[in-house]
Amino acid sequence: MSDTPQTLLSVENVTLKFGGVTAISGVSFDIRKGEIRAIIGPNGAGKTSMLNCINGFYHPQEGRITYKGETRERMRPHVAASQGIARTFQNVALFRGMTTLDNIMTGRTLKMKANIFWQMLRIGPALKDEIQHREYCEEIIDFLEIEHIRKVPVGRLPYGLQKRVELARALAMQPDLLLLDEPMAGMNLEEKQDMCRFILDVNKTYGTTIALIEHDMGVVMDLSDRVVVLEYGRKIADGTPDEVKSDQKVIDAYLGVPH
Amino acid sequence: MQELGSFLEVLISGLLAGVLYSLVALGFVLIFKASGVFNFAQGAMVLLAGLALVRCLDFLVARGMPFWAAVALGMIFAAAVMAICAFMVERYVLGPLVNQNALTMFMATIGATFVIEGVAQMIFGSDVYPLRLFPTDAWIAGEGVFPGGILINKLDVWGGVIAGLLVVALALFFQHTKTGRALRAVADDHAAAQSVGIPIAWIWFVVWLVAGLVALVAAAIWGTKLGVQFSITFLALKALPVLIIGGFTSVPGAIVGGLIVGAGEKLAEVYLGPFIGGGIEYWFAYVLALAVLMVRPQGLYGEKIIERI
Repeated sequence: MSDTPQTLLSVENVTLKFGGVTAISGVSFDIRKGEIRAIIGPNGAGKTSMLNCINGFYHPQEGRITYKGETRERMRPHVAASQGIARTFQNVALFRGMTTLDNIMTGRTLKMKANIFWQMLRIGPALKDEIQHREYCEEIIDFLEIEHIRKVPVGRLPYGLQKRVELARALAMQPDLLLLDEPMAGMNLEEKQDMCRFILDVNKTYGTTIALIEHDMGVVMDLSDRVVVLEYGRKIADGTPDEVKSDQKVIDAYLGVPH
Repeated sequence: MQELGSFLEVLISGLLAGVLYSLVALGFVLIFKASGVFNFAQGAMVLLAGLALVRCLDFLVARGMPFWAAVALGMIFAAAVMAICAFMVERYVLGPLVNQNALTMFMATIGATFVIEGVAQMIFGSDVYPLRLFPTDAWIAGEGVFPGGILINKLDVWGGVIAGLLVVALALFFQHTKTGRALRAVADDHAAAQSVGIPIAWIWFVVWLVAGLVALVAAAIWGTKLGVQFSITFLALKALPVLIIGGFTSVPGAIVGGLIVGAGEKLAEVYLGPFIGGGIEYWFAYVLALAVLMVRPQGLYGEKIIERI
């Protein structure tokens, strides 16, 4: 990494309303290239809404989101994806009728260029294309240690593995920015440790910038470079884990008073 | 030998009629696979495609254009009409309902049915229009083996061949192309599909267009058989038991289901009819579907998880 950290994404004064309910009000923060950025806050603080704004599911009424130096208006989710933003969901959102491998291959959709007629016959350039993308997917499968469930329909997998497949699908997109919405929710200790290791490895091996929402404070403090804290749609703190941990407002709102 | 001959004749004509049921059912399967929506408007789309085709054809022939050229232009015109229909449906009916549940979308397609039927008849008229795209005479086969031979309708054979080609093309499309994979992804989860970069609006346009083109093929064959008329929309009702038998998510299921229904109702009519007073053809498919529902609710080829609908 270079000495002066580059900003990959900046959120400025974003306000998001649903009818009369204000989900996010006037929040600003930035995500630097190559870092792991955590977004924390109590339930209903607007964390998931924030991710939804970043990848284009929601369009904030006010404020600006600048990604790779470009400010965008009402970006659609598939456009965000084509610009290198991948994500996972709070409630696992996999294609349940498909196998693990097929799920991960959908992550390559945007990279496949062969003509539809070649693809139908699976000859010529399409064959080469398919093999090349399959190889990349296999690499990710090895990386996340899910070789044994390659051909299993994902609906049949236990929850922890489904989360891992979801991560694999996001990685198959070779994202520049990876948004993880509670990647460890509902996991046992061992699964959590595995997931932590994968997130760190992804960040290191592929240099992927990661923004994650997580409730497990131990995990957040260990993983992230910087933390932004939301409460009732407002930002109440922003800084390194240590700074945030000792911030009085955060302690009151979220971490609780030490006994 | 006489017995066997007439049995074969009934069986073959039943199977070939079944192919036509399959064609309509295919349109349903396509949309169900790609959006998880049971498209009530498929019958109306067959009517729209048929009317567009036959009216354009008549118009051009009346202006002195050679028949083959008129057919080609008529097909292109009807395909364009189906493309416009697909675009409008995506834009004004389904597009605003992204991330809504399947039942909401199903209700929306019921609304679309009435609009499509109404608009189609307003623009193209509401009479019975005869269509002559395929030969309608018959072959007599196997005269040496069976006394009197077996009568086979040429139109039914054409229908069979065309349906077969369509199925192969669709199967390749779904299994091998990235669009096919994207279609299956969209059916499972809208938000997740968007997040990997699949543009839902485009995918839905494609799938309604393909369903529209299948409707056009069905309309060309059924129209030749019965004339293009409003009652063609009731075909959709015959496709329902076909889907239940074959499974809502399976292209081969739609084909096998259609064949079973076609052959089943003809055989039942001929061999069971005399004992219980005839008229079996009209309800046999539904009773068969009911029986399948009790034994195999997902149909013969359906995916196990169908909690939608």
